[in-house]
Amino acid sequence: MDDIDAMFSDLLGEMDLLTQSLGQEIEPPEPHPSTSHQIDFSVGFTGLNASLHDLEDNDLDALMADLVADLSETEKKLEAEIQGLKAPPSSSSDLPPPPKGLGLQPASSITSPPSPGNNRSSSVTTTSSSTTSPLPPPPLQSSKPTMEEIEAQMKADKIKLALEKLKEAKVKKLVVKVLMNDGSSKTLMVDERQTVREVLDNLFEKTHCDCNVDWSLCETNHELQLERTFEDHENLVEPLLAWTRDSENRVLFQERKDKFEVFKNPQNFYLWKRDKKTLKDMKDKDKELLVQENFCGTSIIVPDLEGVLHLKEDGKKSWKQRLFQLRASGIYYVPKGKTKSSRDLICFVQFDNVNVYYGKDVKNRYKAPTDFCFVLKHPQIQKESQYIKYLCCDDAWTMNLWVTGIRIAKYGASLHDNFKTAERKAAVSAAMWTNRSTPSSSSPSTPSPTIKAKAATQANGYAPKQQPGPTHQGIGNLPAPPPLNEILPPPPPDPVLPPPPPSLASKPPPSKFPPPPLSMDSLPPPPPPPPMDNFSEDPPDFLPPPPPPTSYSSLPPPPPPTSYNSLPPPPPPTSYNSLPPPPPPAPAANFGRNINKSLPPPPPNPEFLPPPPPDPVFVASGAPPPPPPPPPPAPAPVSAPRSASQLRKMPPAPPKRTTPSLPAPAAGGDFMSELMTAMRKRTDQ
Amino acid sequence: MAAWDLSVKVEDLGPDAPSVTISVASDLHVGGVILKLVEKTQMQRDWSDHALWWEQKHQWLLRTAWTLEKYGIHADARLLFMPQHKPLKLGLPNGKTVMLRACFSNPVFQTVMGICRMLNIRHPEELSLLRPVEEKKKKKDKDLTEEIYDLTEVPLSSVSRPCLYNGMPAHFADSEQSEGVYKMLSVTQPPPAPEVIAKQYRPASVVDKSHIHGRWLDSSRCLMQQNIQENDRLWLRFKYYSFYDIEPKYDVVRLTQLYEQARWAILLEDIDCTEEEMMLFGALQYHINKVALSEPQMMSSNAALDDLESALQSLEVKMEGESSSASDLLENMTAPDLNDYLKIFRPKRLTLKGYKQYWFKFQDTSISYFKSKEESIGEPIQQINLKGCEVAPDVNVAAQKFLIRLLIPAPEGMNEVYLRCENEQQYAQWMAGCRLASKGKSLADSSFQSEIQSIRSFLAMQKTNSGSSNNSAASDESINTHSLVSPRYHKKYKPKQLTPRILDAYQNVAQLSLTDALMRFLQIWQALPDFGLSYVVVRFKGSRKDEVLGIAPNRLIRIDLGVGDVVKTWRYNNMKQWNVNWDIKQMAIEFEGNVNIAFGCVTADCKIVHEFIGGYIFMSTRSREKSDTLNEELFHKLTGGHEAL
Repeated sequence: MDDIDAMFSDLLGEMDLLTQSLGQEIEPPEPHPSTSHQIDFSVGFTGLNASLHDLEDNDLDALMADLVADLSETEKKLEAEIQGLKAPPSSSSDLPPPPKGLGLQPASSITSPPSPGNNRSSSVTTTSSSTTSPLPPPPLQSSKPTMEEIEAQMKADKIKLALEKLKEAKVKKLVVKVLMNDGSSKTLMVDERQTVREVLDNLFEKTHCDCNVDWSLCETNHELQLERTFEDHENLVEPLLAWTRDSENRVLFQERKDKFEVFKNPQNFYLWKRDKKTLKDMKDKDKELLVQENFCGTSIIVPDLEGVLHLKEDGKKSWKQRLFQLRASGIYYVPKGKTKSSRDLICFVQFDNVNVYYGKDVKNRYKAPTDFCFVLKHPQIQKESQYIKYLCCDDAWTMNLWVTGIRIAKYGASLHDNFKTAERKAAVSAAMWTNRSTPSSSSPSTPSPTIKAKAATQANGYAPKQQPGPTHQGIGNLPAPPPLNEILPPPPPDPVLPPPPPSLASKPPPSKFPPPPLSMDSLPPPPPPPPMDNFSEDPPDFLPPPPPPTSYSSLPPPPPPTSYNSLPPPPPPTSYNSLPPPPPPAPAANFGRNINKSLPPPPPNPEFLPPPPPDPVFVASGAPPPPPPPPPPAPAPVSAPRSASQLRKMPPAPPKRTTPSLPAPAAGGDFMSELMTAMRKRTDQ
Repeated sequence: MAAWDLSVKVEDLGPDAPSVTISVASDLHVGGVILKLVEKTQMQRDWSDHALWWEQKHQWLLRTAWTLEKYGIHADARLLFMPQHKPLKLGLPNGKTVMLRACFSNPVFQTVMGICRMLNIRHPEELSLLRPVEEKKKKKDKDLTEEIYDLTEVPLSSVSRPCLYNGMPAHFADSEQSEGVYKMLSVTQPPPAPEVIAKQYRPASVVDKSHIHGRWLDSSRCLMQQNIQENDRLWLRFKYYSFYDIEPKYDVVRLTQLYEQARWAILLEDIDCTEEEMMLFGALQYHINKVALSEPQMMSSNAALDDLESALQSLEVKMEGESSSASDLLENMTAPDLNDYLKIFRPKRLTLKGYKQYWFKFQDTSISYFKSKEESIGEPIQQINLKGCEVAPDVNVAAQKFLIRLLIPAPEGMNEVYLRCENEQQYAQWMAGCRLASKGKSLADSSFQSEIQSIRSFLAMQKTNSGSSNNSAASDESINTHSLVSPRYHKKYKPKQLTPRILDAYQNVAQLSLTDALMRFLQIWQALPDFGLSYVVVRFKGSRKDEVLGIAPNRLIRIDLGVGDVVKTWRYNNMKQWNVNWDIKQMAIEFEGNVNIAFGCVTADCKIVHEFIGGYIFMSTRSREKSDTLNEELFHKLTGGHEAL
């Protein structure tokens, strides 16, 4: 036993070194054996030196921040580990693997099954005292574990930690240059576990765009003249790894109307045979019903598509016509001389191993009959090949129908989930926009009620889609906590003000869940209106805890593993870093679980994380934004620091960002004009 | 008031016993009649379920407070005194027959509710009863008397509340026999023998299918009124293809029966699908059968985990198990070694003639090969990353051919590579490795061993099938693949040819749990274009030819019989109203935008069509807020005919 112990502490040490060294090595993106991928894929640059030169100053800042965060992350882990060892058994069990491997695929690790289990039980124990837990207090847990058990537990935790670190060390990170609409570019560090959604959120912070649902990341293949929109749930790194060295492929940040069009106007896809006018006059209620029918049932229904398309395949030069049919299981065609009955159909392609792309300039390149071409190919194929299938439609609309249909067949429910997340995100930021822009006209406190109202209606807008259980419904709409928070921001010119929240918090929610006051104590006075949406959208088991960001802040200590399990990305570990030893762990644990389960994107709001009292300095520096108090231009700072913090590896106190340079660091002078355009866009809509 | 004699036949006295005559007055209420009757028979028994049936009027006299006068009963009335619940042979979706006591006096809707409560199926509104297709009685079939599961002994009173006992509703736990019935209900049946499939009636056309839908019983009238007799046979089926709130934990029987109905719909080509889809359905059936056999207790124990305490308990046990064995954890982390001499062949490269032998090594998601084992420390000749590649088997056990065909993506296109293994064991391991790697998993993945197992069992299948046709659908290892597909494919492929195709589809589902596999089956079924369509031959007003009306959960479609094409679609949410003219048996429906259609029904009573449409509209009104109580009144309002109102 002792041997094993020793072995593990050794291993842990090694791991720490490894992760640390990794972080450092990335800093100057120089070739390193273990990160060889990175070199190949410092995407879009011709050479490394060039790439470094290419980087704008603020890009470098951001990258630096990322890297520093990496370092601190490991430090923090150590800290956590130490805490874990000291802490009482129940919570210690949760500690070791905290933010780390969360994003890792559970399938690949044997550690993942135990950890959720662990946490569940422990969170129950901890909460049982406060009686809030929806679960009956498990009698078993109440008996105190013996020393041996504790030891065994600790050992297991160490092992888990070690394993997590092993994995962490292997995580690939890419430096990605994203082209903006205006021709400029932004450079980000993307880690293997990040989804496109997270990268988008990240870009939102950096660009101050209006965050509407159409913003997308697109991939263009220069050599093949192909283009496709990444789906929000995809991991970004993986497809980029398929690019060849020296490829001229690009990642674009663009608004793509077609991305979620099917949810905005489902009739155009599901009832496309009807005449145009009835489709145009479709009532919202009927649209919603269509989405419901096709995406919210037990099975996802693929639009019923059938038509003659021109096909070029097997590397042949000629195009031939065939009658194609889209089904959930793939694309089929009707063989010559046969009927359209299902049993006679020949399978043309199934979607497991192909992606769908838009082809450009096919008329010239391949003598295609039209320029409305979509392409099916394995994502790894980057050059001309007989395995690429080109299909030409008669018009752009048909092409759009097919591409969307194929995406529905391929991605199924994920598409709808993506849309809901994007919608939520857009609503949140819309609320923030109004929030930020209104103060300029009047005193800061007056506008908030209106905003609140707005946010509330928006939230209710989609609330009915997912009916929370009857009991929870009241909660779902519980407008109480958020508005309060919203009104909050104005007062605290000095953000170090932790006292307000507790009192506030204790007002509305207590009826539903007793413990909050406790945990709320640890909450900073966060202003975020966003949570509202989460409330209404969330599944029934979602208790109405305080707004996500806050909950986040109360999270630090043990529970993370479970809560984050469902979250793709690891949370900003740094935030924990700045947090003093866990506040009352019990309620926090409970919260973490409830909230984060239902919270798809990690609330990107570390600035709301101002650590509780002990650390006033940090708060002051890291959180100038939350209260948009003094000057009208407040909006800028709000989003600026966020952008940095958004990255999961925000450093404890990013040197550059924190100097509350009001004019946004990233966007600089353009910001106001950008804001103007965004506003205009909004009003146009 | 003058007294007169009323004679009543009492069923319990036997068919030949004379009627009992009692003296009544017209102002005597029905309850009084029954009382007198019971006194007169002098039998001691529980009469509470008994009621009077009026033969001429085809009507139960259920309102005991009504007087004979009010009912219009005179001395010439032929009355029958009998229990309201009588045994009924019920054909279940899984093809088994259960005998149970069903209510013959309430509307069929309620009868079905009672049956479902007894069988533990939630949402009875989705099911209904249907007259079976007459089976051609061949004399030689006579000796094959089917097994009947008897539930008639279950006291009706005990069924009211489904409290779980030992993972099953309490009323099943009474005897070993009824436990057996529950098992039949809640566990999927093994794949049927190919001849059984071939022998079943298969509708060959839309018109054939529409005849089946003419057999649904009227939900607003009782069984007696529809000439159903004691011990008659009826089918219980899901009628409305709108399955609300499936919750595997509570819906064990429902899910199983739904799967069975779907499976038979596929096997009998009641719903069309493509060959690829058929293979996937086959693979899922195979998998479901295998999992159901290997964990027969799973279903019930799952239900038993209902309460949180035991869930936590088992969780704790699990945790202890895991944390105590630290070395196990590590062991699991390290991937098993896989390296061996294999032969490789690249069909595209003409330079390589035939297969060449190298030392192969599996690492993570790649395979590398070396000249020989001794040189395997150095640089490999080549390393092939299998992530995202396509893996296809090319196996002939009889010829001892074990080939793995790989289609490996590269920037330039796909590269074809064949790996040749020496024997089954080697093949199973490398195939499993390639499959996992193609999905980006390494050999350390926990599914590696089970993947090997399933490949081997498929090989075993091929072995047994290659001999004479082994018909008895029996144990796991020797399933005849013809049992998994519709008869069309029996003709098209030999079992031997079918096996690799099903195996191919199987790799995508092999990791599913029983419940997930059932759900997947249902999902794919529901995603078929023709899913949920019930057909009726109709004649549209103003049209001279028969056409088919398809009734789906959300729409009506008009199908041209000549071409088989959908001519028109109307969605219910655009429907403003619909009317039935019972006299000329015509339905008229009005949609928004002044669209009016009217049709007469040819293959089914228009009550059936009316009930379908009203039923689907009812189904769409269900929502969680309204909790689980069934709004029976609304159902009857939407589906009832003129009598009901």
